[in-house]
Amino acid sequence: MKKIAKADMGRFIARLLEQYMVYAPVQVDDAIQFQEITTPSEAYLDYQNSTKSPKGVFLPQSEVLFRYNKGPKQVTVTPPEEIKKERVLLGVRGCDVRATLLLDAIFNTPVNPDVYYEEKRGKTIIIGLACSEPPSLCFCTSVGGTPFDRKGSDLFLIDISDAYLVDVLTDKGEKLLDDTLFRDATAADLELARKREAEALEQMPPPLEVKQLKDKLDGMVESPLWGTLAERCLRCGICAYLCPSCYCFDIVDEDYGSSGERVRNWDACMFSLYSLETSGHNPRPTGSERWRQRLMHKFNYAIGQCGDALCVGCGRCVQGCPVNIDIRKIVTDVMAS
Amino acid sequence: MNADITKTDWAPRVLVLLCNWPLYTQSDLAEVAKTREIPQVRVLKVPCAGRINPLFILMALQEGNDGVLVVGCPPESCHYKAGNYLSNRKLVVLKRFLEYLGMEEGRVRFEWIANPEQGGLSRLVREHYEHVKQFGPVEKLVRSHFASGPLSYSSP
Amino acid sequence: MDKLTQKIRQEAARLLADHQVDRVIGFQEGTLPLRSAPVIVHDPADVDKLVWNSFCGNNLARYLRGLGGRRVAIVAKGCDVRSIIALIVEKQFSRDQVVIIGVPCQRMIDWRKVAKAVNGEILRAEERDGELLVESKGFKRSLQRDDFIHSLCAACTHRNPIVYDILVGEPVEEAGQTPFPESAAFEERSPAERWAFYKDEMSRCIRCYGCREACPMCYCEECFVDHSQPSWIAKSVEPSAVQIWQIVRAYHQAGRCVSCGACERACPMNIKLLYLTEGLNDLAREMFDFETGLNTESLPPFATFDPDAMRDTAKQDGR
Repeated sequence: MKKIAKADMGRFIARLLEQYMVYAPVQVDDAIQFQEITTPSEAYLDYQNSTKSPKGVFLPQSEVLFRYNKGPKQVTVTPPEEIKKERVLLGVRGCDVRATLLLDAIFNTPVNPDVYYEEKRGKTIIIGLACSEPPSLCFCTSVGGTPFDRKGSDLFLIDISDAYLVDVLTDKGEKLLDDTLFRDATAADLELARKREAEALEQMPPPLEVKQLKDKLDGMVESPLWGTLAERCLRCGICAYLCPSCYCFDIVDEDYGSSGERVRNWDACMFSLYSLETSGHNPRPTGSERWRQRLMHKFNYAIGQCGDALCVGCGRCVQGCPVNIDIRKIVTDVMAS
Repeated sequence: MNADITKTDWAPRVLVLLCNWPLYTQSDLAEVAKTREIPQVRVLKVPCAGRINPLFILMALQEGNDGVLVVGCPPESCHYKAGNYLSNRKLVVLKRFLEYLGMEEGRVRFEWIANPEQGGLSRLVREHYEHVKQFGPVEKLVRSHFASGPLSYSSP
Repeated sequence: MDKLTQKIRQEAARLLADHQVDRVIGFQEGTLPLRSAPVIVHDPADVDKLVWNSFCGNNLARYLRGLGGRRVAIVAKGCDVRSIIALIVEKQFSRDQVVIIGVPCQRMIDWRKVAKAVNGEILRAEERDGELLVESKGFKRSLQRDDFIHSLCAACTHRNPIVYDILVGEPVEEAGQTPFPESAAFEERSPAERWAFYKDEMSRCIRCYGCREACPMCYCEECFVDHSQPSWIAKSVEPSAVQIWQIVRAYHQAGRCVSCGACERACPMNIKLLYLTEGLNDLAREMFDFETGLNTESLPPFATFDPDAMRDTAKQDGR
């Protein structure tokens, strides 16, 4: 284990900026957003949770897949330029990294990987940050995570007052270190980190009954319960767009006469348009069916497909929903039914 | 790109949405032809100003038109009775809303032209053209030029 | 507030038990501090879910979509009632389909304002006797409720329900102001500053359509952004597409917006939207002497015209 004094973080980030493109949490008005930073002082690591997840680093909201130009004799198709500068994702929580691992199972598959995602994923170094003060909305421990979950990070930082303990987890992470700013951690440092971890775990709410949820949901497709659970759902895309593990997308050709581009945009199963068929029939006509789909996908279908729930307990959907639909309450109501 | 052209040797691209009815006689058509001769002015005929969806004006700006002039019929002259009244409301509200947001005043203009009025159309278009020239090329609402724009529009 | 909650529950139970209505739309306790959540009650046994407090900011008229032939009851404050009237004028349903349980509005709290003022995550909050008692980790604070009213509520000129079937609570003093201070202040700035502000705010928009779905007046079966072949604007977050999306959404509310603030409250990215809708409300007042939802006789400005006033150069000049 290494450590770096908080006073030296500025210099560390400045060195990173020389070689890499750095994404970090930034204060924008009263909210925290992950953005590209150009100076070390922009990075704000004392945050609790960001409004949007940082999944856009790997799956941008709008991504041009290629551009095309129709000339007199031929059509030229221009794919995106190769990413020349590697990226560092700094200060990301364990839950968001966990979500990235879930997205890897969808996009970064051994056979036929999504080349756009694969390139970004491969050229990004992840510096995780332990969650010492989990917000009260969080429930990562209910879905297989923990506030100090370091799985998937290349470096993992733990706040120990005037320094960060640095757990070096991969070679990718190791190459970012140097001797001037990083020293060996002492036994006292490790003890303090352990204490912080225990305190964080203590703050987590009692876990929800997610293990039996999949089985419970198996028999519930036709349940009348769906009619009332989320009747007030507005069918906007806030929960899906803030979520680190939602990944649905739509591909659109934006045509401008003799040229254009094919763009991949985030989409959400919550939108009515998502399931609207050409005939005009919509198999999910109201918020109730859409919420059934959402819950089923996250806690039933996903578990069947890859063994993990498609939720990391970050609480962003709970915070963001304009009508206060709370996935924790829905899960509890379903289990109690 | 427009940004390289200095204001003095730059000719604005103006879109004129012209109602079919103010100028339809032979001499009127000559007037329209004269208007089309002003460089970079495009005249798009519509059956009535009331047919104009306010989105047309926004699309026109997005495509890089530096000025948009809508020409309709005066009160009590609408061929379809009330198209000009309704379009006056819709388009003037849009114009004032855009200017409230900071769009240069007069880039978008809604005017009527009496029927017939010799030389009225080309004079009106020239007036608008000269007015728009002072603002320089339109930048607000213009679509990011795809050839030079980023391949990913959003930050995470 | 307890008396109001009790009365609402009583009326709801009676309406449901007598089968006068199919459902009652109201508010219930939220799962987050400073928030109440909309609720749709079908069974008289569930009326105890209903509450009334200063966290009832949503516009419940949003839930009057697709009524068909049904009759519903709705707990409605001043702005909600105006939306109901506006929807009736636009023939979305008839007056007799809605039993309005009108509540003169005590002005709703802006929970974001409270969160900003408290240095720490708010874990619990309670309203008592004009005070907001908020609890964070390791400390409690008492705030003056009136300091945290939503800016639109502070300027509201129609707190009392204009029509109602049942009135819950006493009428309140109308002491608002027009134009809305934020839009008036915005207009004072230079055009370049205004555009810079607009562009900056819109750069955060993620096209989640929370604003659209929360608005009671955005009931189009196909929104213009979802139309394709041909499409009006790109579906992506390309800046001009986002800017036009927001301009047109607000523009579609000209003469239809009731200043309820549902759009800005819904936005997860804290984008300022009220100066857009209020700017248009100001234009509607100035150009057509029109305010939305005050009676069922007046047609909204874009649905009618006045040949005599077609070109009053001060108001409707297209130059």
